[in-house]
Amino acid sequence: MFLERVIEVWGLGLRNIWRNKLRSFLTMLGMIFGVGSVIAMLSVGAGARHEILSAIQELGIRNIIVNSVKPPEETTEETTEDVWKDKYGLTFEDADYITAALPSVERLLRVNRIPKRIWYRSKRLEGAVLGVAPEYLETFALDVSRGRRFTEMDSRIRARVCLVRRSFVKQLNTTEDAIGMWIKIGTQPFQIIGLLADEEFKSHTREALAIDGVSQEIYIPYSTSMHIFGTANYVQRGGSHEYSEIDLDQIVITAKRDEDVFITSRILKTMLDNMHEKVDYNIIVPLELMRQRENTSRVFNLVMILIASISLLVGGIGIANIMLASITERTKEIGIRRALGARRNDIVWQFLTETLAIAVIGGLFGCLAGIAGTQGIVALTSWKAIIEPHYVGLSLGISLTVGVVFGIYPARRAAFMDPIKALRRE
Amino acid sequence: MSESRPVIELRGLSKDYGSGDSTITVLSELSLSIEEGEFVGVVGASGSGKTTLMNILGCLDSPTRGNYLLNGTDVSGYNDDQLSRIRNASIGFVFQSFNLVEQLTVLENVEVPLFYNRTPRKHRRAICMEQIEAVGLGHRLRHHPSQLSGGECQRVAIARALANNPAILLTDEPTGNLDTKIGQEVLNLFHNLHEDGRTIIMVTHNPEIALSLPRVIELRDGRVEDDHAARTFLDRMEVH
Ligand SMILES: Nc1ncnc2c1ncn2[C@@H]1O[C@H](COP(=O)(O)OP(=O)(O)OP(=O)(O)O)[C@@H](O)[C@H]1O
Ligand SMILES: [Mg+2]
Repeated sequence: MFLERVIEVWGLGLRNIWRNKLRSFLTMLGMIFGVGSVIAMLSVGAGARHEILSAIQELGIRNIIVNSVKPPEETTEETTEDVWKDKYGLTFEDADYITAALPSVERLLRVNRIPKRIWYRSKRLEGAVLGVAPEYLETFALDVSRGRRFTEMDSRIRARVCLVRRSFVKQLNTTEDAIGMWIKIGTQPFQIIGLLADEEFKSHTREALAIDGVSQEIYIPYSTSMHIFGTANYVQRGGSHEYSEIDLDQIVITAKRDEDVFITSRILKTMLDNMHEKVDYNIIVPLELMRQRENTSRVFNLVMILIASISLLVGGIGIANIMLASITERTKEIGIRRALGARRNDIVWQFLTETLAIAVIGGLFGCLAGIAGTQGIVALTSWKAIIEPHYVGLSLGISLTVGVVFGIYPARRAAFMDPIKALRRE
Repeated sequence: MSESRPVIELRGLSKDYGSGDSTITVLSELSLSIEEGEFVGVVGASGSGKTTLMNILGCLDSPTRGNYLLNGTDVSGYNDDQLSRIRNASIGFVFQSFNLVEQLTVLENVEVPLFYNRTPRKHRRAICMEQIEAVGLGHRLRHHPSQLSGGECQRVAIARALANNPAILLTDEPTGNLDTKIGQEVLNLFHNLHEDGRTIIMVTHNPEIALSLPRVIELRDGRVEDDHAARTFLDRMEVH
């Protein structure tokens, strides 16, 4: 009974909207843009947040990563030979000192980067070779999908083994089983013992772990890398030679507890500041990054809410304006309905329903527009977006609210008209 | 036809418009009563207060002073919602300019009063179809008012006025917008309703129409100038 009435009043409203198709559509535009931008911003925002969070999680919340970097000032000393020699970055003493001096450090992992070319038979392959401890594989969840990881034993015997990404294997261009194959790093042969599950690191993670460019990582035991390649890096680029010496390309420090991360990183920074003349390192604290992102996303959210509110406000005012015009136009009808027994509430509901219908239809179209717009943004940029089913409900909620807020005044104005005057109107 | 208890009773009813110095008294100290089943004409010069009286009788307006008893209940102090309910249940309006809602069909127009007293849709349809049949427009249910002639519109309006089976039928110049022949047809419809026992109050400027009515109240400057309630059949014959 009640439902039947509600349906009838809605039917009446929808008919009026349909009768003035163009006008209704123009009125809805504000809602379409308003709700559309809310949805687009929400999904892009959620996508960005998710991206950052998962990158930070990949890096590990309790980890602190320190990379050796070439210091900004070019203070190089020329040797007698015609090469540039450059010694910088983290030293073995740094690592020993950190382990000894910082009780909050659970473990410290050393990483040696080997800037050598990689060969398979006579074919040159793309890859970045990293000498790491077996624990490093656990720390960054580097699981093998086939074969095996290298172990403590491999480290101890300085085994010539390596782990590669699946996509690296594709470069080999062979149907043979990659596991057991031999490749050459520089001039040194290594045997592939495992394939890493091919979930590549997120770009943030690659950056933090200083994995350059597009190349895929190749992991070899740290001890093997030190034994064979040492700390000296000799790179020949074009005609010039570059010779640099870096003890440790990277260290990964794991704090004992989440609460220890900040203080550890602060002390670490002071220590390195004191021990190094130049800033030839950078410290990455995933937890800190996460806090920063949370702050920036709070600002982003505020801006988002502001933009969305303005467009919804404009949309709402547009609706109110049209409803007021419509009420003036339909004064006679209101007078007739009142004369025939409509109470003020009946009139309020009739016009409020019409406003709500416009707002809700506009809102749902806006939801579609927002989803479409998001797809467009994702297609045109490298941004990620997350569209969630509850956005439809959210759009409905927003449009109902806008409809009520901006519909109540026109509807009440209609209801409080003097029926006699309204009837006299032609 | 039982002319026993008064459907309408006015006791010293006045209506002022405006306030302060600019107050004008449009109706002053009206007292009259109308019995069930009467067909009463209201005549008077332009501005004499006929429409104002009808608005008050129709509960669209409230008197400034005095009492209006409808079916024995004093409605002069009713609030807007109560008046709306009375209009819906007890009053049928037929206006000079038909006042049909253009966006609605004939059937839907007639349904409006039943919509506001919450008659279920199916039941409503049945009642309204019957009323429309009764005024001879059963073949026009789905038409819109703009597709009908003036006479047809007025017949739809009459069907609508009767939809809720009201105690009184109020009509202000129902034939004013119609030519003589069509006007006469509409008038006949009212006479038929009167014969069926309806209480009808009709404002008219047309003396001929007024003379055909059993009782005529004449207003002048907001007072009852004359009430020909006792007019006899013979008196009327003389005029013709
Ligand atoms: N809302 C109002 N405010 C002020 N004065 C009003 C109002 N409504 C009516 N009047 C005045 O009351 C007087 C009576 O008006 P009313 O409409 O009742 O006359 P009427 O007898 O119906 O005239 P007509 O035959 O021309 O329709 C007129 O002088 C009119 O100007
Ligand atoms: Mg009048």
